[in-house]
Amino acid sequence: MAIDELQAIVQRCQILEEENFRAEDFNLFQVAGQKCLEEGYAAQLLEVIQNEKNKVIVKNMGWNLVCPLVRCILSYKQEDDKRERCLKILDQLVQLSNPKELLLGLLEQIEQTPGEQISETIMLLLQPLQTVILKLHGKKSYSVGLSLSTILNQLSLLPVPYTKDQIQEDKLHLCQCCNAVVDFTKPFVDEVVKNMKTSESGERELKEELLKFCLKSLKYPLLTAQLDQLEDIEEHPLRHFAAEIIGILSDIGEFTPAVFSHGSHSQNWDNHEFLDIDRNDSVDSLACLSYLVFVQYIGIDCFPMIFSPSYLLQCNLLHVEVLLKRTEESILAKGLDLFESCLLRMDNNSLLHQFLEFRNFITASQDLVKVMTLCPIEDLRKKSLNVLQLYIDKFDTEGKYTLFRCLLKTSNHAGVEGYVIQNIKNQIDLSLKRGQDNKWFTGHQLVSLLDEVFCLPEGAETDLLQSSDRIMAALNLLRYLVIKDNEHDNQTGVWTILTKVTQNFLKPLHTGLNMSKAHYEAEIKNKKENRRESHTSNTVCSVTVSGEKMPNMSAETQLQVLHSALFTFDLIESVLARVEELIEVKIKAVTDENIGVK
Amino acid sequence: MTTDEATKSEGDAQTAALVEQGEDITPNQDRGVLKIVKRKGNEDASPMIGDKVYVHYKGKLANGKKFDSSRDRNEPFIFSLGKGQVIKAWDVGVATMKKGEICHLLCKPEYAYGSAGSTPKIPSNATLFFEIELLDFKGEDLFEDGGIIRRIKKKGEGYSNPNEGATVEIHLEGFYGDRKFDSRDVKFVVGEGEDHDIPIGIDKALEKMQRGEHCILYLGPRYGFGEAGKPKFGIEANAELAYEVTLKRFEKAKESWEMDTKEKLEQAAIVKEKGTVYFKDGKYMQAVIQYGKIVSWLEMEYGLSERESKASESFLLAAFLNLAMCYLKLREYTKAVECCDKALGLDQDNEKGLYRRGEARLLMNEFELAKCDFQRVLEVNPQNKAAKSQITVCQKKTKEHNERDRRIYANMFKKFAERDAKEEASRNPGEKDVEKATSEKRLKTPVTEGKEAEGHV
Repeated sequence: MAIDELQAIVQRCQILEEENFRAEDFNLFQVAGQKCLEEGYAAQLLEVIQNEKNKVIVKNMGWNLVCPLVRCILSYKQEDDKRERCLKILDQLVQLSNPKELLLGLLEQIEQTPGEQISETIMLLLQPLQTVILKLHGKKSYSVGLSLSTILNQLSLLPVPYTKDQIQEDKLHLCQCCNAVVDFTKPFVDEVVKNMKTSESGERELKEELLKFCLKSLKYPLLTAQLDQLEDIEEHPLRHFAAEIIGILSDIGEFTPAVFSHGSHSQNWDNHEFLDIDRNDSVDSLACLSYLVFVQYIGIDCFPMIFSPSYLLQCNLLHVEVLLKRTEESILAKGLDLFESCLLRMDNNSLLHQFLEFRNFITASQDLVKVMTLCPIEDLRKKSLNVLQLYIDKFDTEGKYTLFRCLLKTSNHAGVEGYVIQNIKNQIDLSLKRGQDNKWFTGHQLVSLLDEVFCLPEGAETDLLQSSDRIMAALNLLRYLVIKDNEHDNQTGVWTILTKVTQNFLKPLHTGLNMSKAHYEAEIKNKKENRRESHTSNTVCSVTVSGEKMPNMSAETQLQVLHSALFTFDLIESVLARVEELIEVKIKAVTDENIGVK
Repeated sequence: MTTDEATKSEGDAQTAALVEQGEDITPNQDRGVLKIVKRKGNEDASPMIGDKVYVHYKGKLANGKKFDSSRDRNEPFIFSLGKGQVIKAWDVGVATMKKGEICHLLCKPEYAYGSAGSTPKIPSNATLFFEIELLDFKGEDLFEDGGIIRRIKKKGEGYSNPNEGATVEIHLEGFYGDRKFDSRDVKFVVGEGEDHDIPIGIDKALEKMQRGEHCILYLGPRYGFGEAGKPKFGIEANAELAYEVTLKRFEKAKESWEMDTKEKLEQAAIVKEKGTVYFKDGKYMQAVIQYGKIVSWLEMEYGLSERESKASESFLLAAFLNLAMCYLKLREYTKAVECCDKALGLDQDNEKGLYRRGEARLLMNEFELAKCDFQRVLEVNPQNKAAKSQITVCQKKTKEHNERDRRIYANMFKKFAERDAKEEASRNPGEKDVEKATSEKRLKTPVTEGKEAEGHV
């Protein structure tokens, strides 16, 4: 019987001094104890442990029982008596065992737990863990740090619930567990706070461990979590967790420095422990923190409300850059939200063009373009475009001008270029209406920008279908200029460059259109004849997307595509014809007038 | 009367006072920021642009509602004045304050958060009320080591700065105590100021200045003329200097990505030569700049032809070895080790690389590692006498070290258990003393260092 075995080993050890315990005694004790638990003798085991005579034995060997004990507890149901008894044993072990070894025993147990039981195990052991650490005299900060990092490492194996249903269900108890971990840290936070008041420097290490924990939590689970307020959920558990984390940061005096710790901006908060933490490792965490503060307003009450909006933008662009480099939906969305929130704090036309001297003010616009052209999620593409427009709106005229020029040169995407040209048109319109502050969107500055607009990169050979958005926008702009600005005033300078535009843009466009149309018409004719000849489709090549073969286009769809291309060409041609007509009329009017004068 | 009403009427009174008696402190005199001094400062000095400013403040909306207070956070608020970090009203207002002063400011939205407001606390078009106490301010510590303190008299334009290698035109005036020892217009290349009797601190500070900026720079000896002093200007060793500098114009040097390989290799030869001249002259910081350029240009250069890559490698090796030597001289041993590691990455049996890493490690009290390095030197070149004697030094140090450890642990075993924390505390300062002692000793007896220094280029 297991209990007899246990009694035997215990009796033998009772008479020994603790330094005389042998390795095999530990082994026998563990095996016998485990058997007792498995065979349901928990009550007897509890008696052995509570026995005053066995104090020394339990102190030395008790931690060996953690593993089987946890296994038993998790296997019993919530209201089972046996579970209660096991919990009592655990409680006794925490009271009696050597804290150093027990700590390692507990952490080992947390580390070994497989996927589904991770949260349960952690929640079960948090309280014992806390008691044990509080009993340790030296190396407390190290133990706190080790415990927290072990716990978070284990938790990070779990998927973060994302939809409302998933959050409500919290199947793997992740949300619940996160908030339990916060409770676990409470006494340690209090200790740091207490010592900060008496300005004892000894707790620096503990503070650093707590800071590490906060940063790690910001990276997981918060960075990937969905943190918007949810309807019908009174308290979003992860928002609650976020608020707790920010609460800790604020309590230990690291909140404001953390939000601004990026790059050179940290210089305002000197001598900060923060500098010890590897920055590269925490860029994601800090970006997430900024998001929580400026988008979700969590902790904004602890944040100084005195910074200028442009400075906030400048600091946050570094975070935005980090977030927009990622591809995960939840993280990209956070980046766009953070960018937007910074821009919404600014008045239109108030952002000085000098900020574009900071490299990241340029790269920010390029990151947006990347999202709006490459991201597979439509909502994010749209949002990115909105943010870009907002960004453009905030700059002063010179800033807008520089940004347009840069976007035309770097975006490599006809849609974006078309959009920028549309924006240029709006700015010219404003300039002409206002009649002041028009240095950048009239006259020779504008002319040099228009050079970028009215060109076909590869002359008549340019792929017109690919660049149709850009070409249409350019033609629209030209039409607008010719109608709005007459040759006498020539405010925009368009009449000065007209010959050049005709030569470099309109003429090659004509040629290109003729070539393309002929080509596509021939192709359609071909297709139709082929269809008449044979109904069996013999494919020339196949397209695969991520390993899967795309279905072949039916002859019908192929024809449709070709027709729609032709339609686009017709559209371009009609606008082109209209523009040329307008130019002709205006020039004729002027020459007539001149003749009349003569 | 409820408390809400009480705060409101108090707020109304304060606002009314500001509107009636407040001084308009805006440059345009548009009444955008009105100020009343509530308590006069205890000193006459006001902060300058770029100064690090410490304040306590309380901010209220027009309805009397407090939206922010540094006292609630229990820490003063710190920012750089005049750099656009805070709302305009503050950059204007705090600049007029004296140390110790408490004032009230009433700020129109154009000088605060404008029509956009700042969600969730500041509504659109809000006039803000502040009570500010200027606790302290100090000049900007450019490198956070107290070596260069800047105070800006006139702000420059824009945000771009000269980089290393940029050509700058400046006006400078140098002061030693009350004596002005230098005053001139000068054009030079950042990093090479030494050629024009300009101390390294000016080069370093210029990289943080903008076009048109006029500032005062307080240089510690390390960033001034150092131990050598400057007899030409009558400046003694380890003197602290002050300079007034105006950056008139500058032209940036090409960044690494703007240069092609050929250009980089040509320039590498030139800067290597410059670096060596500085090194021989004992201008180690200047030498670091020159050698550093080679690294920044060539370390990450890909797609070179075979001939180019050979040349590039030899430049890099020389640069790393020389940088290591400079850092040894500057007593930045970790950096010296890093450079040696990189040199040895290119040539694993490099005698100088191994020797210098050994030296650096010895000075960092890593005796065993140092010994290994010197032994490797002997494997490469059995004739290296210096390495032999260094090994003896290592052994001696190790022995001393062990003995000290033994004493400490002997004590420790007696008291064992929970005392280890205390023991550690008493051990650490001890270790530092020894480190200091060794480095001082090495300075007095430069065994083979002088000889080594020349042979490297």
